[in-house]
Amino acid sequence: MTAHPFPPQFKRETHTINGVKTVLLTAGSGEPLVFLHGAGIWHGVNFALPWTEKFRVIIPFHPGFAESGDDPAMTDMHDYVMHYLDLFDALGLDKVHLVGFSLGGLLAANFAVQAGHRVKRLVLVGPAGLRGKERPTGDVLSLPPEQIPSMLVSNFDLIKPYLPENPKDLDFMGDRYREGGTLARLLWERPYDTKLPRYLHRLTMPTLLVWGEDDRLLPVQQAELWRQHIPKADFQVFKGAGHLVLDEKREAVDAVQRFLS
Amino acid sequence: MSGTVRFDFMHFMPYVHLPENHKDFHSTWVDFPNKFYDPKKGHALYQRYLAELVLAETVGFDAIVVNEHHNTAYSMMAAPNLIAAAIIPQTKTAKICVWGTPPNLEYPNRLAEEYAMLDVLSQGRLEVAFPLGTGMEYWANPINPSTARQRYRESIDIILQAWTQDGPTTYYGDFYTYRYLNPWPRPYQKPHPPCYIVGTGSPETVELAAKLGFGYSAVFVSKTRALELNQQLRKSSAEHGHHIRPEQLPLQVITYVAETKEKAEAEAVEHIRYFFEDALRTTPTFLAPPGYLSVAELKKRAALADKLHGGFSFENVNESFFLAIGTADQVVAQLEEWGAKMDTNHFNILGAIGNMPHWKVVKNLTLIGQDVIPRMRANAAVERRVAAE
Repeated sequence: MTAHPFPPQFKRETHTINGVKTVLLTAGSGEPLVFLHGAGIWHGVNFALPWTEKFRVIIPFHPGFAESGDDPAMTDMHDYVMHYLDLFDALGLDKVHLVGFSLGGLLAANFAVQAGHRVKRLVLVGPAGLRGKERPTGDVLSLPPEQIPSMLVSNFDLIKPYLPENPKDLDFMGDRYREGGTLARLLWERPYDTKLPRYLHRLTMPTLLVWGEDDRLLPVQQAELWRQHIPKADFQVFKGAGHLVLDEKREAVDAVQRFLS
Repeated sequence: MSGTVRFDFMHFMPYVHLPENHKDFHSTWVDFPNKFYDPKKGHALYQRYLAELVLAETVGFDAIVVNEHHNTAYSMMAAPNLIAAAIIPQTKTAKICVWGTPPNLEYPNRLAEEYAMLDVLSQGRLEVAFPLGTGMEYWANPINPSTARQRYRESIDIILQAWTQDGPTTYYGDFYTYRYLNPWPRPYQKPHPPCYIVGTGSPETVELAAKLGFGYSAVFVSKTRALELNQQLRKSSAEHGHHIRPEQLPLQVITYVAETKEKAEAEAVEHIRYFFEDALRTTPTFLAPPGYLSVAELKKRAALADKLHGGFSFENVNESFFLAIGTADQVVAQLEEWGAKMDTNHFNILGAIGNMPHWKVVKNLTLIGQDVIPRMRANAAVERRVAAE
């Protein structure tokens, strides 16, 4: 690993939320922008630095991921929605810009469905969670871990610096295995949310969908499913980007910023 | 070694007719295409394997052991209770050991019923073990590996309640609700058939066996580890107020007896190689589905990877695992040494290993029955008399 996933501009805060150690990164000032990460955040948050020029960016690690603690009793999306309601209360955040990526997109959508009044604007980046019957989601639970990184990007060189040089690095393997276990608790039975489409009509806040055109995990065609159910969503696709579209395309980061400004 | 000596014969009932190019596949489990299963050949194998299991009783074994695996050429016993049911009417005295169905892969009331049926059918010859199931089973069955251990605990709880309390009772758990837990029939043995935990040595399962007062059998762990586990079980069991008896610690030994050591090795090694290299071939992801292991355990196993699954050397396997390959004299000496060291008198003999042909299995079982079992019983009886004097 040669790159720093979490740049020094971000400060760490540790909170205890309903008994769970919850670490978050925060930088910048302005209206709060909460970014909900995907099923792994080892590729870091360097992409988010431009946002800190205009927003108070808050990137919490989900329970069971990265530096936050585990809570095996958290077994569904509702538990995570409740966790974030508690965290927002603890931070005194009344209303936020909510940006969710991949698993975090599913979480952000669920949060906004249940607590729309806490979300000013919503951005879903390559969100997981809908059942793409024709273009199904790649199953990260069954992919051998060593095959996952290359599935995430169109340009592998971009994330290579965040990976250990030894592919059998035990600590890295162990950390990913732990996060896989967290993901399994949420999505093993069904890697999608069968109820969510029924409630997406509640996303009446300004909403933007962002996708990488070459997303191999969540095919860009799935954007149509979201657009069928969300009353009014802007949609932007970025060429030459895979699933990690924010890491790969500065234009995508800027597009989110413009939408939230 | 104290008391009597017990000999079990365990069969995996493998499907051995693998295609020529089978080594091109990364696993003979989970995703190994089932188009390679020919039911006609499967039928012949079932006929043969059932005969071998029954032969074990005839030549003097005390018990017949079957177990469960899914989606694999390693075993044709996806439903071991069916095999047990087929063996019961063909045997008279042998214990029938279903070691066993992972109780979290089956509705617990149904498993309580099926085991009770087998116990009644066999007039109380059933013994059961509760394995968590290998990681591979969770890719084949719709059970979440990340909650497997909790579900496993709850399932055992329900089965024991069904067996030990007069029904109907109720059970309100995290995974199952029973408004009328009242299975018919009830077990023949009281309070219930002897129970074991079978595992690969994770601390959680050893502790569970200790708590419940069950026996424990470590499978596919090194000799050193097996000894540690037995000691740990004795210690933990005592802490829970249970005294572990030697017969509760079955020791799994790959055994082959022939006229000379050289002949025994010449006849057995290729099948042991097949067993480790081909029948057990799987992937790290299949072995450890997400959440199935603790992170510490995953790292420990990853560090040891490839020792067991794939990558065979007879010397390594012989060094690491319990293998008794030789003349009857040598096998007796070897088993007695391990029995003393492990403080057990219960040997679970893997006597039909890998793709061993029928004639070798028959020869092996016959020689064990003729020259190993009686001698070890006699030695144990002498030891018992000496101890009594």
